[in-house]
Amino acid sequence: MQGFAVALQPANLLWCLVGVVLGTVVGILPGLGPPATIAMLLPLTFLMNPAGAMIMLAGIYYGAKYGGSTTSILLNVPGESASVVTCLDGYPMALQGRAGAALGIAAIASFIAGTVGVLGLMLVAPPLAKIALSFSSPEYFALMALGLAMVVLLAGRSMMKALLAMLVGLWIAGIGTDPFSTTSRFTFGRMELLSGVDFVVVAIGVFAIGEVLANMEAREETQLLPVPKGLRNLLPTVQDLKDCRFAFANGSVVGFLIGVLPGAGSTIASFISYGLEKAVSRRRDRFGTGVVEGVAAPEGANNSETGGALVPLLTLGIPGSGTTAVLLAALVLWGFKPGPLFIPENPALFWGLVASMYIGNVMLLVLNLPLVPVFAQVLRAPVFVLYPVIFGISIVGVYSTSGSLFDVALLAAFGLLGYVMRKLDYPAAPLILGLVLGAAMERALRQSLMMSEGSLSILVARPISAVMLSLALLILLIPFFTKVNAWRLRALGS
Amino acid sequence: MPRKFGTADFTSGLALAALATYIILRARQWEYLGPDGPGPGFFPLWYGIAMAALSGVLVISSVWRERSTGVEWKKIGRALAVWFALAVSIAALKPLGFVVSLAALTFFIAAVMYRRPPALAAALAVANAAAFYVLFPLALGVPLPAGVLGF
Amino acid sequence: MAFAGSLAEMAPAQGFQPTRPIEVVVHTGPGGGSDLLARAVALMVEREKLLPVRMQVANKTGGGGAVAAAYLAEKRGDQNTIGFFTGVWLTSPLTSKEATISLRDLTPIARLVLEPAVIAVKADAPYKTLADFVAAAKQNPAQLKQSGGSITSRDNVVRQLLQKHTGARWAFISFPGGGERMAALLGGHVNMMVIEPAEAGEHIRAGNIRVLAQVSDRRLPGFPEVPTLKEAGFNLPAVPQVRGVVAPPGIPKENVAYWEDVFLKLTRSASWRKFLDDNQFEDGYQNAAELAKFYDAFTARMRDILEDAGIKTVR
Repeated sequence: MQGFAVALQPANLLWCLVGVVLGTVVGILPGLGPPATIAMLLPLTFLMNPAGAMIMLAGIYYGAKYGGSTTSILLNVPGESASVVTCLDGYPMALQGRAGAALGIAAIASFIAGTVGVLGLMLVAPPLAKIALSFSSPEYFALMALGLAMVVLLAGRSMMKALLAMLVGLWIAGIGTDPFSTTSRFTFGRMELLSGVDFVVVAIGVFAIGEVLANMEAREETQLLPVPKGLRNLLPTVQDLKDCRFAFANGSVVGFLIGVLPGAGSTIASFISYGLEKAVSRRRDRFGTGVVEGVAAPEGANNSETGGALVPLLTLGIPGSGTTAVLLAALVLWGFKPGPLFIPENPALFWGLVASMYIGNVMLLVLNLPLVPVFAQVLRAPVFVLYPVIFGISIVGVYSTSGSLFDVALLAAFGLLGYVMRKLDYPAAPLILGLVLGAAMERALRQSLMMSEGSLSILVARPISAVMLSLALLILLIPFFTKVNAWRLRALGS
Repeated sequence: MPRKFGTADFTSGLALAALATYIILRARQWEYLGPDGPGPGFFPLWYGIAMAALSGVLVISSVWRERSTGVEWKKIGRALAVWFALAVSIAALKPLGFVVSLAALTFFIAAVMYRRPPALAAALAVANAAAFYVLFPLALGVPLPAGVLGF
Repeated sequence: MAFAGSLAEMAPAQGFQPTRPIEVVVHTGPGGGSDLLARAVALMVEREKLLPVRMQVANKTGGGGAVAAAYLAEKRGDQNTIGFFTGVWLTSPLTSKEATISLRDLTPIARLVLEPAVIAVKADAPYKTLADFVAAAKQNPAQLKQSGGSITSRDNVVRQLLQKHTGARWAFISFPGGGERMAALLGGHVNMMVIEPAEAGEHIRAGNIRVLAQVSDRRLPGFPEVPTLKEAGFNLPAVPQVRGVVAPPGIPKENVAYWEDVFLKLTRSASWRKFLDDNQFEDGYQNAAELAKFYDAFTARMRDILEDAGIKTVR
């Protein structure tokens, strides 16, 4: 089609390559995220033609998702907020010597999901955007409730501790200025806490620093992770690919759909996709110990979310996330007017972009897969080299997002919390889940009640939110059912 | 199923109960239900109550479990020592800058925690800090905390 | 060109010349409103050769400008740092105890732009004029809804002023992101919103929304047929969203004069004209003294408005 004619021009191919490589690098480095990179490159883009510039910036956007999984899997450092879910099974896989397989599956899942995302953007964008408009606060609340219900699936051994961790996450999410009333909550008088605690600070602190501290206990110098030997462990096996069949589909679809909703975000998409995968998997009890589909699902989700997030941006001019907001600004800067008429009036640009996203995904796969064994070698470094580097990366990651030394201090505090949680057997995932969803959920509930003038019935009167809330309720009852079932079986057995 | 950390559950449960009490007390100072809907006190009050209830159950149930099999204080000591070093180096970020602080932290980890020879640790410290300096402020233009020495 | 002449003008104020890159403090993260403005200004300053050094953006996020303001206050006497403020820097100290630094604690340099806004409803709504909407709100108190930013944002200020003026009441629902606000309007979940003209433009062209009035003193070039608030019969001040420049406290007079000069030249340049047109901003240039006066008047008025709205002011 015409789009490929645009995308395959040598200059645009070059920009695509530059974008995806830069994006991968940016994704690997924690803290430096796509919004910052794109903002910094904006002046440069004036020297390029708009199609090339857009192709490059979009390349950075989804390239970063590929890179984000690398540090999550190898070092338990979430390279990007959405990669935090990848840490849950990716890092344990690395601990078992299967880092290569994890990285490879992440790349493959990202490729499949990214392609599906582009397909979605191409085929169903305008009608989907209209449907997305019917989503408002009650539906968002129900979606968040569904996400929180997933904690039940993330619980591990102690449901109580998981719930407590989630509640602490909800509390941390509530720190800051209440947007509806200017009341400051839990700020302890510190102005730095007025906008709340940054998610990146908590995630890197609890995961990365907590992990390093826990590993420090052992005096003997062991290599950080068993280095994968032989090609079998350097890349995913055929069995791995078979295990991930559903995860590929799951990640692609869930990520794309959630991406279409403005404001929902890739972190939520990753969590829901992970939870869904765990719910349907036959080896659900082993999630969290290094199950390959536990990597494939969230990685796929956060890639197809990119395609999804471009839907409201390009069909309605509505940015759904930080990165799309910068892309919107870029489009405006170049003289375009993003809005409902953008696609009809700029077909060459749009289809060129779509075509280049296919190409970009292929480029990323080709670039990343061979690099997997290379990255896995990082783990050969002795721990006394690696741990200071991890500390350095964590500090830089936090400082570069907010420029605040207070946040770095918070990083240390959350590092200690992460260590303590590990020792006391409190799972970290529910904490992160509560943190990510807490503020949004409270906002959605209060917005909904404002819309309905105080009546809770709005949540069940609307079909979509009613369905999601029922699903959430069902999920919450799963442990109850399994306990009853086990009890029944035991009674039958005896 | 016997748990190893009976007393740990007890302590953490108490700590969480304390946090929950704090949350509930603060939440009651804010508006619970305003003219436009739930106020700032609404959500915190409810999750505070949930936290209090669950931590109470945890404390009580921990009393029923077997006592812990012994806390490995030496190991915990190592971890906490590193954390303390991290905290100190973060506090030093403002006066001394990132490069010096990271170098010091690296040296501490390599030489003290892992008993590497001081020369090696020092070389590592310099290399690590220099690498970060070259990559971030110089190459990428991402500013890092600079101390009195200017970098 | 203005540049040659200005060299001669600059000679007396030779007391100060920047020698290091200028640190430009903004309170948003990369890609946020202030950040993009700062980068755009840096570009224009370079293009027009207004500074011998380059400008570097420093993001100090948090607390609605409180962290950035405090950072500037800490840099007392530093002659190579400036900051871009927006309206939220003016209102945060009024409502949050923790936001301790107000514009009066810093050195005002210049006010740069005023961002007007328009009042919009969905295209298939039954309101053809603002008076229609107000009448409908009077008939159904507290049932109509407006989407907007935080409760101290300009969106709500407009609502407070209108409500007080007309006696009508309608609900205000905060959405943190501009995208969500527009989605709420387009999806029919709220009835009205106050938005920037640049955002509105495309949706009007697509026929999705209709503009009832403009919150501006003069009719904007992009909306020649839409009445201003005053013209529509609502004798209210057009509440502006302001952006401008401040500097740390304790800097010498020559420094202030230098900055004033730079920004005066910037606002007279062709790139600036184009920038204003592209973004549909109004030229709101004021020099340092005028900005100080504006600040006092603005905060006094804001205090009244907040109290009317039932929001506690702490200063």
